[in-house]
Amino acid sequence: MTGSQHPVAQLKNLSVDYQGGDGWTRAVDDVSLDIASGEALGLAGESGSGKTTVAYSLMGERRGASRIAGGQVLFRGRDVFQLPRHELLALRGRSIGFVPQNPMASLTPSMRIGSQIGEMLTFHAVATPQGVAARVRELLEQVGIPRPAEAARRYPHELSGGQQQRVAIAIALACRPDLVILDEPTTGLDVTTQKRILELLAALKRETGVSMLYVSHDLASLSQICERVAVMQRGRLVEEADTAALFEQPRHDYTRRLIAAIPRIDTPPTNRIAPSSSVTGAGEPLLQVEDLAICYASRTLLGLGKYPPDSDSVKGVSFSVARGKTFALIGESGSGKSSIARAVAGLSRPRLGTIRFGGEPVAALAQRRPLQLRQKIQIIFQNPDSSLNPRKTVRSILARPLRMFGQLNAVEREARVVELLQAVRLDAAYADRRPHQLSGGERQRVAIARALAADPELIICDEILSALDVSVQASVLELLETLQRERGLTYLFISHDLAVVRWFAQEIGVLNRGAFCEIGDTETTLRAPSSPYTTQLLNAVPRIAANLPMVTPLERRL
Amino acid sequence: MALISLLAVSAINFWLVEMLPGDAAARILGRNATPEALALLREQLNLHLSAPERYLQWLSKLMSGDFGISLVADRPVLDYIASRVANTALLSGFALLLYIPISISLGVITAINRGRMADHVISGIVLIFMCLPEFVIGILLISIFAIKLSWLPPLALIGQAKSFGDLLQLIALPTITLVAAMTAYAVRMMRESLIEVLDSSYVLMARLKGLPTWRVLLFHALPNALGPAINITALNVAWMIGGVVVVEAVFEFPGIGRLMVDSIGHKDVPVILAISMIMTGAYIVTNLIADVLVILLNPKLR
Amino acid sequence: MAVSETSIGTWRAGLGRATRGLSASGRIGAAIILVYVAVALTGSLWAPYGAAAILTGSPFEGGSLKHLFGTDNLGRDVFSRVVLGTRSVLTMTFAATFLALAVGGLIGIVLGYLRNWVDELGMRIIDILISIPTLVLALLIISAIGNSLWLVVLTVAFLFAPRVARVARAATLNVATNDYVAAALARGESTLSICLREILPNIMGVMLVEFAIRCAFAIIFIGSLGFLGFGAPPPTPEWGLMINEARANATNSLWPVLAPAAVMALLVIAINLFADGLSRMIDHPGYRTTGAK
Repeated sequence: MTGSQHPVAQLKNLSVDYQGGDGWTRAVDDVSLDIASGEALGLAGESGSGKTTVAYSLMGERRGASRIAGGQVLFRGRDVFQLPRHELLALRGRSIGFVPQNPMASLTPSMRIGSQIGEMLTFHAVATPQGVAARVRELLEQVGIPRPAEAARRYPHELSGGQQQRVAIAIALACRPDLVILDEPTTGLDVTTQKRILELLAALKRETGVSMLYVSHDLASLSQICERVAVMQRGRLVEEADTAALFEQPRHDYTRRLIAAIPRIDTPPTNRIAPSSSVTGAGEPLLQVEDLAICYASRTLLGLGKYPPDSDSVKGVSFSVARGKTFALIGESGSGKSSIARAVAGLSRPRLGTIRFGGEPVAALAQRRPLQLRQKIQIIFQNPDSSLNPRKTVRSILARPLRMFGQLNAVEREARVVELLQAVRLDAAYADRRPHQLSGGERQRVAIARALAADPELIICDEILSALDVSVQASVLELLETLQRERGLTYLFISHDLAVVRWFAQEIGVLNRGAFCEIGDTETTLRAPSSPYTTQLLNAVPRIAANLPMVTPLERRL
Repeated sequence: MALISLLAVSAINFWLVEMLPGDAAARILGRNATPEALALLREQLNLHLSAPERYLQWLSKLMSGDFGISLVADRPVLDYIASRVANTALLSGFALLLYIPISISLGVITAINRGRMADHVISGIVLIFMCLPEFVIGILLISIFAIKLSWLPPLALIGQAKSFGDLLQLIALPTITLVAAMTAYAVRMMRESLIEVLDSSYVLMARLKGLPTWRVLLFHALPNALGPAINITALNVAWMIGGVVVVEAVFEFPGIGRLMVDSIGHKDVPVILAISMIMTGAYIVTNLIADVLVILLNPKLR
Repeated sequence: MAVSETSIGTWRAGLGRATRGLSASGRIGAAIILVYVAVALTGSLWAPYGAAAILTGSPFEGGSLKHLFGTDNLGRDVFSRVVLGTRSVLTMTFAATFLALAVGGLIGIVLGYLRNWVDELGMRIIDILISIPTLVLALLIISAIGNSLWLVVLTVAFLFAPRVARVARAATLNVATNDYVAAALARGESTLSICLREILPNIMGVMLVEFAIRCAFAIIFIGSLGFLGFGAPPPTPEWGLMINEARANATNSLWPVLAPAAVMALLVIAINLFADGLSRMIDHPGYRTTGAK
């Protein structure tokens, strides 16, 4: 990419402090970066790395109670934080566009889409009042929204997640800026949608020659768009290189770890023992689900009323899980996978179907199931922030299932709590802490310990890795595998991430809109999928190719 | 839904009033009534019927707009209370008209200047007003403006108003009292709701778009912050329906609040029932309007 | 001696822990409330005159050393009456509010957790109860049954409970969607157990703030009832009643009007400051948020 001499944007030894608790914490520490004209720079890092702070400071925005502790942020040679107010306003939107992380929350709910794009044009005096409507339509078309004239009159909540993000991109590009900053633009989107958005971004970059700063924790997607990648860890810039060079020969230890932790769909992880596919005893499967149909309809008055079969979110699903094995339920959002998990756990009543455990049918709701059964089936949830009671200590969280399901006295319970913590690789001192004092990964471990406390046979894992950083995901996954080996646990593993389950589950079922489009042994299914949907999912997983062409020419897809 | 509420309320009201002690007939005729006269009056008042029957009779008369006859004034109730209802409506109307713009603007000012001097001062004054009962505010206002300064008349006997200007003068203090009491809650609510909106992702996005502050406030923030403010206003109106009783007592304003208190004292049953039905009806109507407004403001609910 | 020293030490530590994070204004509010409570508890021991003692001085005297707040139309010492009135006001207020919170709170939590037809029915009933203007209903009830102290308490509690239930339900709706509630459900815990063990501790903050706010409302409401003559019967030194009695003679002396009004207002202000501070403290429970990303 030929760029002009001068970089579009520069950070020179930037340091930013945040105020928290009893002092200032350094969030960004002496970071220097250049973004050349027409280039896409990727900024990678996990949570707490300071990458988002860097992104916002490029626009002269200080989040929360923060201060610039040193250095400068220059845009076209001018210090962003020294600009007078009206120039700063002109800078934003006109020269620098911003694509936010969560489009649903970032579009004003009370304003139509067309107005939200149009006001960019009006207030930056980029189009005449008559030309605004036409330009809005043009932009919507450019980002691939069908029927632009109609769409402009819609409200944000009437669009899908992918469409909302396209609108956000349209807003960012409206005034033809020199630089576009994207803050985790594909997090929270389905993997197929993510692929389409990435393709759109690549195409737009080619057409307009705009520079980009792409902030993300997902190294794989970064590698598909950016020419250079910079890696941040805890506020410091640890490595910066051309994309290909970074992935082939990472120089910093952290970068190496980060790259190693990315689940690859093509190659098995080196440090884990692949699950043995030997049949461990023919016997009956532990869990059997037959013709399960679940319906999420809005309640009618007093709960009366019939629901037509079309409105089922899960339509007649059947599968079985063998003892000691892992069965993965894969699907995108709305596929019904979480509904199935919750039904098996006894949290909701299915409309039709039977669930059998150990051969015997079980009652729908957990409250109706016998104590031993409730003990044998345990569930771990997705969101570590909401799965632990913030008012309880770790000890009391773990003690509750011990008290309910066991016959131990107080002393024995205490010993068991320590045992459980050690089993999930947490220090015994954690017993006295409360959830808000733990990190996301630690909270998930406590949730695993809570499930183990009941001494179960089947553990349902409902997207338990999605909210965790990549490196933490790897260690939690490894913990789960060890536990399975040691205790002969059976897992029903819900996920949207094919790369993760590829090497973790022996059997896999792919859900599309409430029904299985594919089910069977993982190896065979993924190597030779029979359903086009599965193929689509496989293709959408971002891969890091060994030799990466500079900017892969991707077809524009509408 | 509203109808069921009205029905339920009418039943509750009726039952409560039933419990007022004393024999209505004896009270009206006085001590020297003959037994025959008492019996006759009782029959006229339908006191020989059982309570549920009386309720149904009253209800059916209500449907046809007949509120019955006041026991005290011996006139049809509707007639009797009409002018009073109008007076209270006037007072409430004025108060609402003033309260809406004041509370919105104060709410906006305190939210934008969060943590700064303007916020502390205004919030402080608002806090004090919120903590004073209406009758205290009223008495204070009378003491200062009517007695010490003699700017305005102390009592709102608007029957004696000879011109519109006179009317305004007489109604000023009670209106200010009502406004002061209601504004406090609304300002706080507006402030909280606006602060939450100002901290939201979409307002941040609007700011990062480089839009001028007034545009961000007016078009992105306010429409989404008004929802709770409308709910609070509905609650305020509900409160005002009761609070007007106290204010009217303080200023001797000839409205239905004072009439209610007097009627309870005289056990004038038809009037009591009529007034409480009107008050409840007003509350229900206000709630409906508020619900409609909230739906209009939030596109997600349409 | 050593025992009392250590116990004072632990008391102070406990108090310090409990109020850490409470803003300055919150602490002022709390302090003032404590003063009122102390006055309520001990007032009868040191008030200079009895509540009904008339002609302790000439009527309508202004403030002086002998009568700190002056005297009213019957020559009664206003200061003493205000002090002695504190007990009845605080008792009625706390009792009514506590009752409202206990009943309303429990109902609200259960409704918010169940969210089925029971919830819908319950909310309809609550909406109907809320739609009756409070003052009017109170007037009706009290005039129907009589002017007793405990009736006022029960009436206020009955009027406030639906409103508290609404707040509790709204708070529960937020909390009940969390996964730890689902985890308890998967363990097969009973509804009551979940409501008390998982939900209640997590809405405690909101409920405490609601308690404070309701207290403030209750004081104003009971004062208004007294002002209209529907509260405690005379010659009880209830503040609202005192203000009403003094109103007619406001031109003679403002002391009998202003003193109880100021005392009432100050208490309500203090409660509001405290409630404000509490709710701020609950939003930021004192742990460090780094804010860095």
